[in-house]
Order: sequence, then structure tokens, then C-alpha cells
Amino acid sequence: MGKMELRLPEISAGGEDVVITLWHAGEGDYVASGEDLVEVSTDKATFDIPAPCYGVLERMIKKPGEKAKTGEVIAEICTDDI
Amino acid sequence: MDICDLGIVDYEDALCFQTDLWRKRVEKKVPDTLIMVEHEPVVTLGRVADESSMIDRELFEKKGISVVSTGRGGNITYHAPGQLVLYPIVDLAEKKRDITFYIDFLEKTAARALNRFGVPAGRDEKRRGVWAGGRKIAFIGIAVKRWVTFHGVAVNINNDTTPFSGMHPCGESDIRVTSAKEVLGRELDMSEVKRVFAERFVEDFGREYSSQFVVRSS
Repeated sequence: MGKMELRLPEISAGGEDVVITLWHAGEGDYVASGEDLVEVSTDKATFDIPAPCYGVLERMIKKPGEKAKTGEVIAEICTDDI
Repeated sequence: MDICDLGIVDYEDALCFQTDLWRKRVEKKVPDTLIMVEHEPVVTLGRVADESSMIDRELFEKKGISVVSTGRGGNITYHAPGQLVLYPIVDLAEKKRDITFYIDFLEKTAARALNRFGVPAGRDEKRRGVWAGGRKIAFIGIAVKRWVTFHGVAVNINNDTTPFSGMHPCGESDIRVTSAKEVLGRELDMSEVKRVFAERFVEDFGREYSSQFVVRSS
């Protein structure tokens, strides 16, 4: 089964923790490469992360309100039959 | 870089203008642009704002001041004519992909511009924003998509700061707010303020980021 892990990209050199503030799609939804998938926030910034590929958002590993670190897996996208 | 002074406009109208320009910048149809505005009185709630940040909703309701939730970072703040708001629409992918560095840059350039008018403004390493005499004078809240920025920094120049008493600005309960007018004891000419901030921003944007490029290439 094709599966892609979405890891939190580096958005600042300091690598500060961010909070997941908004998923633009729900589990089971199709996602399109390049479209906004999840918004993360620092204390003064919001940052939108696009879907890295076409597929189905299989699992949100980090839920809204949870913290994440750079490089941490925050979601899994199933890429079968797309 | 383009400079765009919208004058005094409603928050929502300015947001539409920003998002339209953001899209065009992502599509590389326009250059980096600095939008400058003053807003009609409005309270805005950033992504991490909660009800506890608003301590006197009645104060705003009595004055007919609307409260708007936005997608920017940060907490609660207040805008009104006499406050200069800078919304840079810039592509950080062409400069430096670093949110913290960009926020530091906004604080430094706002402080330097205020210094030009004799306001002893500066950064506080422990707390975001720009400070003068221990009081907060400028407020940061940004959004970044595809590495292109929108939203930005609001600087109290001539505006009445009383409405900030109805909230915990930026979600901080222990801060006091000031303006350039309060610090200097006189109003500043907003046209001159905009000219200086625009000059400062354009110059610093090149300088701050250029210096980083030197470090990286050495």
C-alpha cells in the first residue's frame, strides 16, 4: 500500500515548536498536491503547509491544539489508486 | 519593491486587498509590496486568541466597534485611525525561509523608524513586539502561505490607546500600551510617518537579508 508521511517542515532556523491550529481536510478526504492541508502556529505567525502529493488523508497524527517539532510526522497520506 | 498606501480603510476591505495581492505574488505577477493602511476602529482576534483576552466587550459594543476573527498569528489587538499598519506581501523563499528571522526583522525595522522621530523604541528579547519606556508600542501578527507573507505589524502613532484597556493586548495581562504621541507629547504627521516607515522598510529589507546572504556564501 502506498503511503506518504507528512513531516513538519523547518519554518524557522531556531526550530521552535509549533501548534497544529487547523486541518483543511478530514481523515478520509482526498487531498491535492500543493493545496493547503494543515495550518500550524507559533505565538505570532500562522503557516500553511500544502499537501505533498495527491492521495487520501488517512491519519491525522497531530490533532488541533497539539504541539509538533520540526521533522516530526504529523499525518499519513494514502497514495493508492490515485 | 512596490509601496501601496491605502489610506483609512475597513479591516475586511484591506484583508481582501491583501489576499488578492498575496495570490498575485505567489503567481509572481507582482513584486514584493509593502501595503500601508490605517483601519477604521476594529478589534481583531488572531489564531491563538481566546475569550479570556477580551476583558470588556461592552466597551467596544457601546462604541459600535466590531470584533473580527482573522487567520493571522497572535492574539487580540485593536486598530484605529492614527495607528500605522504595515502589511508586507513578500516572498521569503526568495530571501530567507525563516519565520523567526522575519518577525525579528519586522520588530527591528519598526523600532528604527520610530527612533527617527525620537521615540526610544526597541525590542525585548523575551517578549515579542516593539517597546518604548517599558510599554508596548507595536504589535506583530503574520501569516505565511507558500512562503509569501501577509498581515504584519501595527504601530501606535497618534491613536488613542484607551481602548486597549478593554483587552489583554496580545493575550498578555501585565502589559501597558503607549503611542508615539504619548511618548513625544505631540502628534506626528502621518504622511511623514508613512514616508519614513516605507524608506526604513525597503532599506532594511535589503540590508538584513543581504547580510544573511554574505554569511551563507562565505
